[in-house]
Amino acid sequence: MDRRGFIKTCTAVAAASLASPSFFISSLRAQEVEFKAYKKAILLKKDGTPLKPEEIDPEKQYLFFYPHRATPCILANLGKEIPPAEVKLSDGTTYRWPGGVGPKKSIVAYCAICPHQLSYPTPEFSFINYYPENIPSKIVKRGGVIQCCAHLSVFDPAKGGEVIDGPAPFPLTAIILKQEGDKLYAVGTLGKELYEDFFDVFKPDLRKLYKSSRKAKKLVDKCEVVEVEEYAKEVIRC
Amino acid sequence: MPRKSSGVSRRELLAAGGVMLAGSVVAKSTSRLMGPSRGKRIVVVGGGYGGVTAAKYVKKENPEAEVVLIEKNQLFVSCPLSNHYLVGLIEYGQLCFPYNKLHTKYGVKVINDVVVDIDLPKRRVYLSEGYIEYDYLILSLGIEYDTEEFPFYEETTWFFPGAFRPGSEHLYLKRLLEEFEGENVVITVPKMPYRCPPAPYERAALILSYIRENGLKAHMYFIDANEYPPVLRDGFMKAYEDFYRGMATYITGAKIKDIDVGSKKIKTDKGDVRFDFGSIIPPMRAPKLLERIGLIYGKEKWVRVDPMTFETKVRNVFVIGDSCESYLPKSGYAANSQAKVVAKIVASRMKGREFGGELIQHGVCYAMVNLRSAIMLEVEYKYNVRTKEIKKILREDNTWKVSTAKRYYEWARGLWRDMFF
Repeated sequence: MDRRGFIKTCTAVAAASLASPSFFISSLRAQEVEFKAYKKAILLKKDGTPLKPEEIDPEKQYLFFYPHRATPCILANLGKEIPPAEVKLSDGTTYRWPGGVGPKKSIVAYCAICPHQLSYPTPEFSFINYYPENIPSKIVKRGGVIQCCAHLSVFDPAKGGEVIDGPAPFPLTAIILKQEGDKLYAVGTLGKELYEDFFDVFKPDLRKLYKSSRKAKKLVDKCEVVEVEEYAKEVIRC
Repeated sequence: MPRKSSGVSRRELLAAGGVMLAGSVVAKSTSRLMGPSRGKRIVVVGGGYGGVTAAKYVKKENPEAEVVLIEKNQLFVSCPLSNHYLVGLIEYGQLCFPYNKLHTKYGVKVINDVVVDIDLPKRRVYLSEGYIEYDYLILSLGIEYDTEEFPFYEETTWFFPGAFRPGSEHLYLKRLLEEFEGENVVITVPKMPYRCPPAPYERAALILSYIRENGLKAHMYFIDANEYPPVLRDGFMKAYEDFYRGMATYITGAKIKDIDVGSKKIKTDKGDVRFDFGSIIPPMRAPKLLERIGLIYGKEKWVRVDPMTFETKVRNVFVIGDSCESYLPKSGYAANSQAKVVAKIVASRMKGREFGGELIQHGVCYAMVNLRSAIMLEVEYKYNVRTKEIKKILREDNTWKVSTAKRYYEWARGLWRDMFF
């Protein structure tokens, strides 16, 4: 074996063994599916006043950023009472999602990062969207779903974000909302989070939008709610 | 006085070169490169869509696994979206990704070397410098051009590349297109199965768009061994009617008998075609290494696997991606999906149990019909391991849309995120 050949073959092996295996094991362990509390953040309109539950139109989809400044969430009024649900995972286990909030218990929110390959609404495009009853999905031929048009994952917002169709390996992360008087608050997340991957993968894009990763990751205590159509230049449905 | 001839034709020279290259393959070394496997070593051969995904997802499913990925190239270059590159819709650099994050983020051992042999009974993979033992083997070797029956394809690949293998063929084909000043352009399509069924039709559409945008006077001869586009037939045929009427001649069900790159002539059973520039896409097969190690039966071209688990006749040896006979069309996205199926099975077995849930194979293909619009299809097989029930979904959207083309980019970006971040 010549020297160069030996180096070529062995460098990768040697480099791999430099890192402690326990480091990788700890960083890769599956996250527990449980409620995770973040800063309590009030949902506000563009004018800075609190968003009232009855102001959320069932025929529209809304966007806000929580728990981090750069992590998008879909807010929707499903137009009917949404009871708590057991959310099924592909390994057969379940967790309990508390259902809708608001006077009709019809308002829900989910992280708008697709669990399949991380598509999310940007100022340019929104490939992952809520389809109200009046805008049915062409894939599952009905409204009342959240769907990502990149690879056709479809989720049920009335069942804790459970996967209805397509390649997503697990449900959307639910954003837990609370109503206090006529104000709405986001208080935490339920389900597998994707924030670590999101900040890693989209670092260059987020730096452009937020100047630095630190600023993009900042936890928020108030959230401006806008219509998705106002935020993204193009809402792509399928 | 006639010129003195060397007596060696261009074809013979190329053939001799091929023999010399083959002769230079290194002999099998008997030194062991890594310690003995202890029940948790997965060796993945091939760093394309299937191999990279398999390596990453086995590690994600079971962090205790020792995953080794062997890939001969230093850089991943994507075939999906390479037609975009040919006509200048994206830069070549956008197709390229390094393998380093697989190691630094996921702990996959990446070895940049060539596999010269595999000993299935002894569970060894031989590299140029020695062998590695494995407990589980995932082979994702892609395709080779099948030139055995028609050796003229060896020559056409040098002069008018099929560009269905990543890397330099695409670079050269783009240069040829940019040098092309007009007259006849040809694209040939081999009989199914071949890698990425919509790709030749997409390439034809994009090159025709390029010809129009650049004001070239040219006519395309599209010589198809198939009777019609094997996928998205309605969408492609409508696109040709809508956009390219009179610019192309579609010769279907044609058998190519000979191609002479010197006189630039293709002989087919439907007549001869003279061309100035083209992309000659050869027939394809699984790499011969898979035949040498006994995973291909008789004169078959692809590896037979369990179509739901991708396990071969040898337990714990899996073949995924374009090399295997699969229900999904051969494509990068399908290989990515198949790799996740195998990762689940392997991770379960390492924990001492058989996977008992649902295995989902999912295929989504997009194809451009001009520089701005695309069509798409989705295929899915859901297999319940316990009940053996299989559910199939097939959806085609043959209506060309600008928004579908935008989804196409996001589709590719998502795949690359899934593999390399």
